[in-house]
Amino acid sequence: MIYLDNAATTKMCEQALKEYEYYACSNFYNPSAIYQPAIDVSLALNAARGQIKKCLGANKGDIIFTSGATEANNLAIRGSLRQGKWEYVFSAGEHASVFNLANALKHEDKVVHFVKLSKSGEIDYDALQSMLNDKTRLVSVMFVNNVTGVINDIARVSQIVRRHAPNALLHVDGVQAVCKLPFNLQEFDVDLFSLSGHKFHAAKGVGALYVKNNAALKNLVYGGGQEFGLRSGTENVPAIMSMAKAMQAQNIEQNYQIASQLKQAFLQHIKDERITVVGQNTSPYICMLLFDGVNGETLTRALEKSVIVGRGSACSAKKAGNHVLEAMGFNVQQIKGAIRVSFDASLSNADVVSAAETIKQTYYQLWEKLK
Amino acid sequence: MKSILLRMGELYLKGENRGMFESILVFNIRKKLEGLKYKLQKTRGRILVTDFDREQEVVERLSKVFGLVSLSVAEEVDVTVEAIGDYVSRIKIGDKTFKVDVNRADKRFAIPSMQFAADLGEIVLRCNPNASVDLYQPQVTIFVDIRNNGKAYIFDKSIKCQGGLPLSSSGKALLLLSGGIDSPVAGYMMSKRGLKLQAVHFYSYPYTSQQAKQKVITLAEELCEYVDDIKLHCISFTKVQEEIHAKCAPEFMITIMRRIMMRVAEIIAKREGLGAIVTGESLGQVASQTMQSMTVTQDALNLLPIFRPCIGMDKEEIVKIAKDINTFETSILPYEDCCTVFLPKNPVIKPKVDKARAEEEKLDVAALVDECMAGEEIITIKKQ
Repeated sequence: MIYLDNAATTKMCEQALKEYEYYACSNFYNPSAIYQPAIDVSLALNAARGQIKKCLGANKGDIIFTSGATEANNLAIRGSLRQGKWEYVFSAGEHASVFNLANALKHEDKVVHFVKLSKSGEIDYDALQSMLNDKTRLVSVMFVNNVTGVINDIARVSQIVRRHAPNALLHVDGVQAVCKLPFNLQEFDVDLFSLSGHKFHAAKGVGALYVKNNAALKNLVYGGGQEFGLRSGTENVPAIMSMAKAMQAQNIEQNYQIASQLKQAFLQHIKDERITVVGQNTSPYICMLLFDGVNGETLTRALEKSVIVGRGSACSAKKAGNHVLEAMGFNVQQIKGAIRVSFDASLSNADVVSAAETIKQTYYQLWEKLK
Repeated sequence: MKSILLRMGELYLKGENRGMFESILVFNIRKKLEGLKYKLQKTRGRILVTDFDREQEVVERLSKVFGLVSLSVAEEVDVTVEAIGDYVSRIKIGDKTFKVDVNRADKRFAIPSMQFAADLGEIVLRCNPNASVDLYQPQVTIFVDIRNNGKAYIFDKSIKCQGGLPLSSSGKALLLLSGGIDSPVAGYMMSKRGLKLQAVHFYSYPYTSQQAKQKVITLAEELCEYVDDIKLHCISFTKVQEEIHAKCAPEFMITIMRRIMMRVAEIIAKREGLGAIVTGESLGQVASQTMQSMTVTQDALNLLPIFRPCIGMDKEEIVKIAKDINTFETSILPYEDCCTVFLPKNPVIKPKVDKARAEEEKLDVAALVDECMAGEEIITIKKQ
């Protein structure tokens, strides 16, 4: 069985698991307590914070640990809300944790704008610019789209935002980019940046929000004042430590090269006139395909004993529509035929070639039966 | 002593074989109360549950036994004027309006019912000086039921039960369980008429998901609240649907599919000794539920009748029952069932038997049915 749904989640790596076990069973103390073993845990936690910051290439700001990217996104956006006539701008292709929150804000009478996507799947930069002004409070644009793998030019987004929305905070959902693309946050000048541990071989249930200036943010929950007062509650130390370890264990540059080769080999073998590859300028880790005349759900199930693929977003796999593909201008029939394959550097060329062949053959068989 | 008084509505209508119905009912009650402490006593026209310690649990379980119309939690006292009067004098009703209702099944108790009710009313008034009598719309009714066993039962309310006939007293049948709203309701309704059900589910993996099958298992579990256990036969229908799609006219897809389902159901029913097939069809709801479609479907069966308890009901009425029996939330989970796969754009609404038979000629029906049976998976589902 070949697992090609690494954008949904990844297997925990050995180093991360060891670290998790150590902080769950041996060094399990509450980092807020005042005795020495607890202080040691607190120091380790802060070292992890520093290491993650370094890995992201951020020279100032703080790392707030959360239960995952969904919480980090919610904290970034809800924490930025202010009274008065402020405006909030989101890309139309965001993950459900941003997209659904943006829709909720609309119902709370906030002024919310959605920026359309271009045909290539990237945010429409001109449309973004046209929506900004000095009343814009927050702009939220994801780095790598979780459905299509399309990479937004965050440096360009940042430039546009700084020039046309001087009072705005810029939030970037970096879930599918962290430990996947080589980048440096310093080059981007973003205020808020979300990430999730289980997407890069750490434990599930942990993530983080990078905050350039934490005075700009308000806490959502009240409690013991952990995480600079922005996220009360005892830290999930084992998971956090596993996340820092997993991050450290990744050779991002090398893996990027491997993933690029894997994707290239996969695309070569999946090539067919009835199969559309979605998007341009995409991450080497994600590949979105539209199959003509076959339901993606059926294909996914028909494949599951030999190849595991995703349906775009595990979080919204149960829903019929898919707002990202819709925003790119695909129709309902095309969207029904969508499946997402996502790679990991641990795969071999032979794996992805065999997977591509199996997918193609299974598709042909179904197509014959359904035509 | 506290007792629960059980009333058996429709069984009163039974003549010579009433004893048989009653013993099935008692057997079902004992099964329902398994694991709880209680004693059961059959008197003329009533069943009594005594010596229990978890009142709420006992009442909750009994309220789901078919064949009982209502029950009351009552105080049991000796049939003497003093004992009854003494208990009634301790009832506190504050400033509410009330009446006393006496039922004298034991006519050896000499005071006429009306007279005794008035006497007891006086006692209540004396002990609750702010209360007043209202014979038409009282806030509290004190019932006194004088039975033949030398005991009287005093209670203030009746809890409605399911009614119907005791489970199994009408025989056994096979329910076609799809995963929608209607079929669990049909199953409930026929169980209420005393049928012990088994169920058959058709699925079309990979066109339908494992979750769709799991949903049907959950529905069967929910029905088990009433029917204790269900033997569920799961049949893979993929090959049948692919064959029909490849060989028959598209508008006959559903018609032929239903006919083959009936054949499979009949084989299971015969093997298991089941006397009817139960479906959730409601007249005119969809193309396969028109009068003509049902005629064509029935034509595929040799002998067994099809019971369709929802036939004359509106969707709203079916939904109401589904909500009452707690299957609605599961039924509306968004997983496709096998009827939505290969759905033709224009299914035939008024099919003719000869045309359907002719379409079927294009298939090796016997072989397809055999294949369905070969892949049969049986799951026994019990109350959680």
